Amino acid sequence: MMHDLNLMVAGPQGSGINFTSDTFAKVMTREGYHVFTNAELFSTIKGDHSYFRVRVCKDMIRSYSERIDILIPLDAKSVILHTKELSKEGVIISEENLSDQRRASIPYREILQVVATKFGKSLADLNVMKNTVALAGASKMIGLDKEKLKKVISENFESKPKIAEMNNAVVDEVYAEFTPTHTFDLEPTAYKKRMFINATHAVGMGKVEAGLKFQSYYPITPASDESNYLERVMGKYDFIVEQTEDEIAAINMAIAAANTGLRSATSTSGPGFSLMVEALSYAGMTETPVVIFYYQRAGPATGMPTRHEQGDLRYALSAGHGEFPRVVIAPGDHKEAFYDTIDAFNIAEKYQLPVIVLLDKAMAMSNYTVDPFDLSKIMINRGKLILSETSDYLRYRLTDDGVSPRLVPGVKGGLITIAGDEHEEDGHIFTEDADNRVRMMDKRMHKMKFVHEEVPSDTKVKFYGIPTNKKVIVSWGSVKGPILDAMEIVKDVSMLQIRMMEPFPVEEVMKFLEGKRIITVEQNYSGQLADLLREKTGLETSSRIVKFNGRPIAFEEMVEVLSRKELKEREVLTYA
Amino acid sequence: MLNTVNPPTKPQNYKTSVEIDWCPGCGDFGILNALVLALQELKIPNENVVLTGGIGCSSKIPHYVNVNTMHTLHGRSLAQAQAVKIANPRLEVISASGDGDGLGIGAAHIVAAGRRNVDLTYMLFDNGVYGLTKGQASPTLPYGEMPKSLETENLKFPVNPLFLGLASGFTFVARSYSYNIKHLKETLIRAIKHRGLAMVDIMQPCVTYNNINTKEFYDPRLYDIEKEGWNPAAASENDYKQKVPQAVLKALEWGDRIPMGVFLDYQTETYDQKLQRLVPDYGKKNYVMEPIETSGKPVNDVTELMDSFC
Repeated sequence: MMHDLNLMVAGPQGSGINFTSDTFAKVMTREGYHVFTNAELFSTIKGDHSYFRVRVCKDMIRSYSERIDILIPLDAKSVILHTKELSKEGVIISEENLSDQRRASIPYREILQVVATKFGKSLADLNVMKNTVALAGASKMIGLDKEKLKKVISENFESKPKIAEMNNAVVDEVYAEFTPTHTFDLEPTAYKKRMFINATHAVGMGKVEAGLKFQSYYPITPASDESNYLERVMGKYDFIVEQTEDEIAAINMAIAAANTGLRSATSTSGPGFSLMVEALSYAGMTETPVVIFYYQRAGPATGMPTRHEQGDLRYALSAGHGEFPRVVIAPGDHKEAFYDTIDAFNIAEKYQLPVIVLLDKAMAMSNYTVDPFDLSKIMINRGKLILSETSDYLRYRLTDDGVSPRLVPGVKGGLITIAGDEHEEDGHIFTEDADNRVRMMDKRMHKMKFVHEEVPSDTKVKFYGIPTNKKVIVSWGSVKGPILDAMEIVKDVSMLQIRMMEPFPVEEVMKFLEGKRIITVEQNYSGQLADLLREKTGLETSSRIVKFNGRPIAFEEMVEVLSRKELKEREVLTYA
Repeated sequence: MLNTVNPPTKPQNYKTSVEIDWCPGCGDFGILNALVLALQELKIPNENVVLTGGIGCSSKIPHYVNVNTMHTLHGRSLAQAQAVKIANPRLEVISASGDGDGLGIGAAHIVAAGRRNVDLTYMLFDNGVYGLTKGQASPTLPYGEMPKSLETENLKFPVNPLFLGLASGFTFVARSYSYNIKHLKETLIRAIKHRGLAMVDIMQPCVTYNNINTKEFYDPRLYDIEKEGWNPAAASENDYKQKVPQAVLKALEWGDRIPMGVFLDYQTETYDQKLQRLVPDYGKKNYVMEPIETSGKPVNDVTELMDSFC
């Protein structure tokens, strides 16, 4: 019996590869399996070689495998490129009846001809359904009930019932005509309700739950999927998503909406964030509760827009001129992304400062199964927001905790004066008084002390594995997945996931790391977290494991490197 | 939305007590006075007005007007103003900007704003120079001119704000003059009352740095197009399409005679009305006042969204 099954759909971008892999993944999700997918796309609309991996297992999985058990190639190039990854029992679903043992040949032409005739179409019309032939073939090899596959196909083509009907006729025909010589006997599992989502969905749902009323964005990979998802649901949940002329407008609009009283956010990636930086500093100065969702991708400059990297940690922490308080949170999986999104709004409003939620491409484009979120414990904290009549109001009133009562326009008895120049308590700027400057800097920076003291330890760090292990991996973001999977095999390492980067949780980190041998794993060139760790705690990393070729870390390469007896000061992973 | 509950009674109620740091004789004073008079006449409660500014001499005006104010970043007055209005359509929103702020660093927002048609008033303080940085050429300075503050003559052609406003889709486009407070006040009132995006290009001498476009320059040249028979009103889309090219021709006049007045006044669908097509409840409830939690528990429930992924 097979413990985990790995399917790859490969072909030209735009040939329906994601439809095929998503459909398969959805069927397996509904069978009760854990499903993990990885998408490697070219930054084009049509033509270039792209592929999707789907890994299925009855146990929790959080990474993709280098191994392919079923390859669905939608062109010849895919066969050439990926055959070498086939496992010993692996098969290629193909059209031609070649003598290669590893090919499961399906009579594509005959099957599509039968369906074409039935629907009064030509064979050419049905060429686009080749992927359905392969998908049905794979499903039959795994022994799936064809009706379950047909149901998912019908849902996917909900608005085009005729197309659904034709695709489902193809499924019937494959199940009738194709007798596989290979079959895959996957360990059975019991049904459990799970969502099949990526981080953009998790963040999107988090924002709805948190009461988001205004989101602005400028299209950018891989962040805009989140805004597009929110556009799909804004009519029902009554909020506005505004596509702006550039990222400068996006952040400025989000800031203004926040200062008008709404829970407000913007989502972007590295190049877009660069355009937002002046306004980030403004948000710090004006004490605006705005939340920026920052989906990192491979840089610098345009870099590799559809590829993965965690290269912007130091940038997110330091971006913006001058010194101002900010909070940076880095969720490590979709579940954390949902809860952290809600926390981010609470922190932003409670302490009146900008919050950056640092995500990455691997999370944004990797769909996997997640248990439904527990909504029962979610709380909303809007801090010192004033919505009813007031008097003697000062927007930047000095208080013990540095946080002033926050009025918004339209409330009787008070007016707000927001200013990006240094200001007095009333928000007016015609002072460059030295004492006032010190008071106001103290007021703003002082808030970080309370964030540091009040945010629960769990939000800042998470420890996994056996506490007595000498070796501790320190990591962040989506790398958590392959590390935790590898730790099921490599038992002598533990992991400390750092979730809050600013303010940096020095005490919590010291508690877990003092006296340990520290290994960092991150997807950037230099080991930015290792540097940050040294800066904040003085702790030295014994080995920096990095990967910066644009691809997430695979399960096997993670196991291999962590199993080594000796690790060099710097280890570079390169699997692609 | 104009709300007439408990109007302030004296013009001074719209002025703050903050000491004004503009140069003596600056054209900004006339604009401030006209705006205060317009607000007084419209009787909009102070707390329902939001005035945004960018960066520059003119963009300090938020500090002198006794309403809610947002002194934003250089070039971002209009971007922030639109978001304020989208966030709370019940507010009366006015955006102030200089010619460098609005037509230089912030020009992208003018084009995008025209495409939205958010119901607000955009005041462009237009003096041809960057005053606060000691008088460099701004995007409206005429070609070949060299006011005393410049090191070299200006080699760039000027942007015509009215033409740009018309091309971008502003539905109310006007020009006035800081030394004609009566005309400016009336024009601002018409702009504020207009349902949609209004631009008022305000000719304004910089007494410190621009010794060419002075009061003496403008006084004999400015003429009121509406007094010469121009009717800015466009009653239908067809009317609008015919009116715009004529308004552009008028707007391009410059020389011995410089046109002022309202060039276009076209009532069409505003952005809040358009948003209702996507979000049916938008504008019916006040997002700002609508609670998102009850005793800390979220009002929204994403169970249905979660189920859609199962």
